[in-house]
Amino acid sequence: MRVQKVFQKTLFGVFSLFVLISLSTSALCIYTVDTHLSTEYESNSRGIAKTVADASVDILLNRDLSALQSLIDQFIEIQGIGYIYITDEHGEFLAHTFVPGIPDQIGRSISSSDEAVERHIPGLGDFVEVSRPILAGFAGRVHIGMNTSLIALKVQRAVGQQVYLISLIFIVGILSAVWLVNLVAKPLASLLDYGARLARERDSSAPDNSLLARDDEIGQLANLFLYFSKVMDPRKGIGAPSSGTA
Amino acid sequence: MQDLTRRKALGSGLSGFLAGPGLLSSGALAAASGVSGAEIVLGVSAAFSGPSRGLGIELYRGASAYLEHVNRAGGIQGRKVLLKCYDDGYQPSPSVKNTMTLVLQDQVFALFGYVGTPTVTRILPLLKKLQEMNAYLFFPFTGAQPQREPPYGDFAFNLRASYRQETAGLVDNFVAIGKRRIAVFYQADAYGRSGWAGVRRALIRHGGRIVGEATYRRGTRFTASMRAQVEILEKSQPNAVICVGSYAACAAFLRDAVDLGLKVPIANLSFVGSENLLKLITEGTEDSERYSSLLVNSQVVPSYEDTSIPAVREYRELMERYNPQPPRHLLEEDYTPFSQSFVSLEGFLNAKLMVEILRRQGNDPDRSKLESTVFTIRDFDLGIGERVSFGPTRRQGLQTVYYTVVQSDRFVPLRNWEERFST
Repeated sequence: MRVQKVFQKTLFGVFSLFVLISLSTSALCIYTVDTHLSTEYESNSRGIAKTVADASVDILLNRDLSALQSLIDQFIEIQGIGYIYITDEHGEFLAHTFVPGIPDQIGRSISSSDEAVERHIPGLGDFVEVSRPILAGFAGRVHIGMNTSLIALKVQRAVGQQVYLISLIFIVGILSAVWLVNLVAKPLASLLDYGARLARERDSSAPDNSLLARDDEIGQLANLFLYFSKVMDPRKGIGAPSSGTA
Repeated sequence: MQDLTRRKALGSGLSGFLAGPGLLSSGALAAASGVSGAEIVLGVSAAFSGPSRGLGIELYRGASAYLEHVNRAGGIQGRKVLLKCYDDGYQPSPSVKNTMTLVLQDQVFALFGYVGTPTVTRILPLLKKLQEMNAYLFFPFTGAQPQREPPYGDFAFNLRASYRQETAGLVDNFVAIGKRRIAVFYQADAYGRSGWAGVRRALIRHGGRIVGEATYRRGTRFTASMRAQVEILEKSQPNAVICVGSYAACAAFLRDAVDLGLKVPIANLSFVGSENLLKLITEGTEDSERYSSLLVNSQVVPSYEDTSIPAVREYRELMERYNPQPPRHLLEEDYTPFSQSFVSLEGFLNAKLMVEILRRQGNDPDRSKLESTVFTIRDFDLGIGERVSFGPTRRQGLQTVYYTVVQSDRFVPLRNWEERFST
């Protein structure tokens, strides 16, 4: 319908606005969730590393290494912790949670500082590793790998949920817009048909009563058209419009 | 042998709670300590389901054979000895939960016949917390150190030799025949670490170190692939591998090691459950010797094939006479018991010593006097040759480690390491 072309720009504008909102909120969501989770996970990992390091002193000095393994096995169940290993002061592994073995990437470069280290371990994923000394480093170090793949997964879920919600709002918005446009477009199309017929056939018959009865701009236009048809009709002469103020 | 079902156990515990301590009769008071006029109740939490269920079941069967014999002969001072069993599936958390139920709710006389290091190490702090209730753990099926040394050693009594002794024996014998490049395949938990630490300690004594290590997750089944583990160990070019695991995973490792060409002696500790392991690697295989010829398993009880040993003869006779069955109410999968096994022999000896301790308690068994009663066990003859003694600084009854290899699909004592593994 030709008349609806008038509204296509409006619909396109609404669509563009939604896309803009979706992209900007998703980007903000990714940034916020990623930053918050990374900070929280790293903070938790440091806290756990400190707890294990403090608890390990007594075990390392007085007890069997199975007690140390039992200790770290309880912490590995915490979500987000990918691996834990404990090395002695010479860097030898005393306990760890790796299966099927200690990855080469870790065996080659054991961190000896408190700074977080990023690691990519094939087959296991991406990790940020934090480390804490045991007995100021004289008895070794505790290392905890935080699984960043899990953070990415959580970000994806959060963004997915947001996009899902915005899409729902978008669909409802578009349907509402189409319905509203149709409310305007149908009488406008009738008026357009009347105008076209008037111009083509010089027909001065009145437009549809439903158009003339409207109290909006379309009704006013219909009455104006009727007035002009009568003005132009030599048989009827100039007459006043039946209603309206045009 | 009678055993109490979980439902019965929960029922009796609930009625005890509802009655309240102040309303308990003298009979109920006696029952509250796991002893009544008719019975003494021992609490068991072990693996009766999952890939390690063979260990819990066989240990239970061996103990049941002896307790059935004692109960049919009138029990101890007229009281029957009953086992109240719960399944923990060889998992720490259920083990802790079961122990709390056994001690606080069921109020059993003592804990008996637990299976596994990750399970036992997790309940030890609980026993310490409950020390005023004198909740002692008797003869767990694990050779780990935590229940043998401070701070928890005071709450458990061990019969079997330790993993430290088993691994030291294996390392000493391998080193003696020139096999110094030893790798370890182990379960990624406290049990595996205990064995790994034992091997490391023994190798350091010989001036060596573990040349390679690979792990697997607890609960791994025989159908799992161990290719990755074999490839990791192959890189270290070992001339012997010591496995610290349970039978399903160790059998899978042996299968894949041989299939991938890692043909070196492969040793297992007593916990592995030798017969279950052998069954897995021989079933459906025409050339089972290809796999079994590399095996050497350490044991903490003598061979059940050696009928010159009085306790072995007694064990075989009672197992045949009573043919004890697994606790059916705890079984989730079918299980075909072995007529004899190292694990059930250990369960049998555990029960035999437990009965002796209960006998020494006299007419009025008392948990608070259990420890002092155990310390009266001095040079006690269990019938296996080695005498058993306990004391304040000796909480492990037996010290001997035995070594076995497979011959004609049976485990037999290993007499000559050089001859068996010199090639």
